[in-house]
Amino acid sequence: MTETTRPLAPPPAAPLARLAWRNLWRHRQRTILLLVVVAYVTFLTIVYWSFVDGYGESVVESYARYIASPVRIAADAWYEDPDPENHLGDLAFVEELAGASGVREASLRIHFPALLQSAYVTQGVEVVGVDPAAERALSRIPAKVAQGRWLAGPGEVILGDEVARRIDARIGEQVVVSAASLAGPQAMGLRVAGIARTGVAAVDQTAVIVHLEDARRLTGVPTATTVDLDVVRGTEAAVAQRVQALLPAGVSARGVWELVGPIKTDVEANRVFAHVLAVVVYAFAALAVASTVFVSVMERTRELGVIAALGVAPRRLGVLVTLEALFTCVLGWVGGLGLGYAAAWFLATYNILGPVFGAVSAGVPTAGLSEEVYGAVRAAYAAYSGLVIAVAVVFSALVPGRRAARLQPATAMRAD
Amino acid sequence: MKATRSRVVVTVLGSLLVLASVLAPAAGGLSAAAQGEAQPGPYEDPAAVLEAVLDNLRGGPLRGTYTFLVERPGRATEYVMEFVTDGEERGLIRIIAPPREAGQAFLMDGDDLWLYNARLGRSLRLPPSGRSSAFLGSDVSYNDIVGRDMEKDYTVAFAVPGATQTAGAAGDTIDTIVLELTPRQGAPTPYGRVIISIEAATLTPQWLDYYDQRGRVVKRLVLSEYLESAGRRVPQLMVVEDRTREGYRTVVRLADVQMGAAVPGSCFTLQALERGCP
Repeated sequence: MTETTRPLAPPPAAPLARLAWRNLWRHRQRTILLLVVVAYVTFLTIVYWSFVDGYGESVVESYARYIASPVRIAADAWYEDPDPENHLGDLAFVEELAGASGVREASLRIHFPALLQSAYVTQGVEVVGVDPAAERALSRIPAKVAQGRWLAGPGEVILGDEVARRIDARIGEQVVVSAASLAGPQAMGLRVAGIARTGVAAVDQTAVIVHLEDARRLTGVPTATTVDLDVVRGTEAAVAQRVQALLPAGVSARGVWELVGPIKTDVEANRVFAHVLAVVVYAFAALAVASTVFVSVMERTRELGVIAALGVAPRRLGVLVTLEALFTCVLGWVGGLGLGYAAAWFLATYNILGPVFGAVSAGVPTAGLSEEVYGAVRAAYAAYSGLVIAVAVVFSALVPGRRAARLQPATAMRAD
Repeated sequence: MKATRSRVVVTVLGSLLVLASVLAPAAGGLSAAAQGEAQPGPYEDPAAVLEAVLDNLRGGPLRGTYTFLVERPGRATEYVMEFVTDGEERGLIRIIAPPREAGQAFLMDGDDLWLYNARLGRSLRLPPSGRSSAFLGSDVSYNDIVGRDMEKDYTVAFAVPGATQTAGAAGDTIDTIVLELTPRQGAPTPYGRVIISIEAATLTPQWLDYYDQRGRVVKRLVLSEYLESAGRRVPQLMVVEDRTREGYRTVVRLADVQMGAAVPGSCFTLQALERGCP
């Protein structure tokens, strides 16, 4: 009497998962190798995006704090033609700004062209008249006065480091600022109170900062050309939109992203390029993971043949291989997340990238690049890196997994 | 754009400008102090001495021709210009040589300075810094001697009390007064001080030294070859030396002087700037 041989029922999924998990630690070296590869890819992805996003934010932040402002309010005519003649008609709205949500400080400024003269040199400059107290909250320049001190009152001037060097002016010496605007030709002798060294070429090479009252005398502007607002980083556009309702006709508020001009195009182009580059890197990373899994399957042909002979269906072998890859990738991904976010936090907290861009800043003075470049930290980076790993796991299922699924147990057990 | 025009004005100002020497000799002669003999010392009020010197420098109405020889290391450039002044705060200069600059004109009316560019056919108003900027790239500026800016911008004192005796150009001994001018607070001048040597008998300046704020002479003006007529004294030669740069010097000569010439007010208008003085 013969019994019909019936194939064994496939083992349930849970035992397959346990088998896959145990297989990982049976081949510790191989597993660790794949773990390291996956963790490295994850780490690299996070650091890469931390740098890309952080660089763009640093440029814009630097522009906002050194050259323009986070939010600027000016007459529409002034945006078209930044001449003192296009100054703000009245400043009644400024009081209302103080109560506007998101506005931490409002500072009046007068921008005007002038001649700067020392006993040796005369040169054309762009002068900014400011409220010294309000400017401390709005701009980083007051904290970057390397010699002397920040403005204390009228009769003083702050010069950029390169400006002072070019006209050979020293702390305590008098220079002459001349302008011709609404008040007709005017000239004043101002004492050099401080010399700023910011690391931002656009500031160090051009900054001439005077007291708002001196600027009013020189230009005849009774109010200001701009009102600049200090807001939390990242809220510039929202605050600009919010305060617009408080402004009279013909006056507009613009966030720094609207003020950066050509730099915006550069930053956006860099970001597009970063995505393209990232896709290429992701593809290679996924291939690296999949190829590691593939080699692993190749080396375990006999072992897989034994497993198949013990009753695991070939199709289930494919699932087993894919599960092994999945577990390893997840472990590596988690480890990479930890390392990557730690590195991103470090880059976001400490100015590691800044000195690297010091030379670039000097070559592109209008870019607003400073010596302070920080990384960014965003939750989305986990998704970016997870996507890479997911693609890698899919590759693993497609190639090594299918190979395992097509194994012939007898043939496999005879393999070397 | 207006801002662009302002910047052009500023830029042009930085490289051109000012008349000073034109009015300086134009000033030669004039006012009460110049009527007859200058009062000899001793002078007790340095401000009065300075006022008298400036009065003596500002002449009555005057026409003439200036020649600027701008010397630089390895090269020299000569400018010839016609000028007319009312002896006070107004003057008109028109460049007649070299050809590339010919036709340019400058109008000064108090604090207002105007430049006419013949090629562009446009007149530009220049800021007051032109008064202390280089004229035609030379070492001469309006504020070197001319106008009353010295009285406005500086406090004056005797560098040496009373008059001292110094060697004259003719080998004789002359009485000399030395004034020291110190900038007033906030005055639009970059200098630390100015020293003026004055011939006591005639109250005409012999030389001026401009100091920076570190005690170094950065510019020297030497006036000589005074032309005297009807109680007025006009320096026919002025040498301006840039003491910060080797070989930088400007020699200004005055010729064809017409003292007391008829100078109508219409000579100092924008129309005259563009078309010439009648």
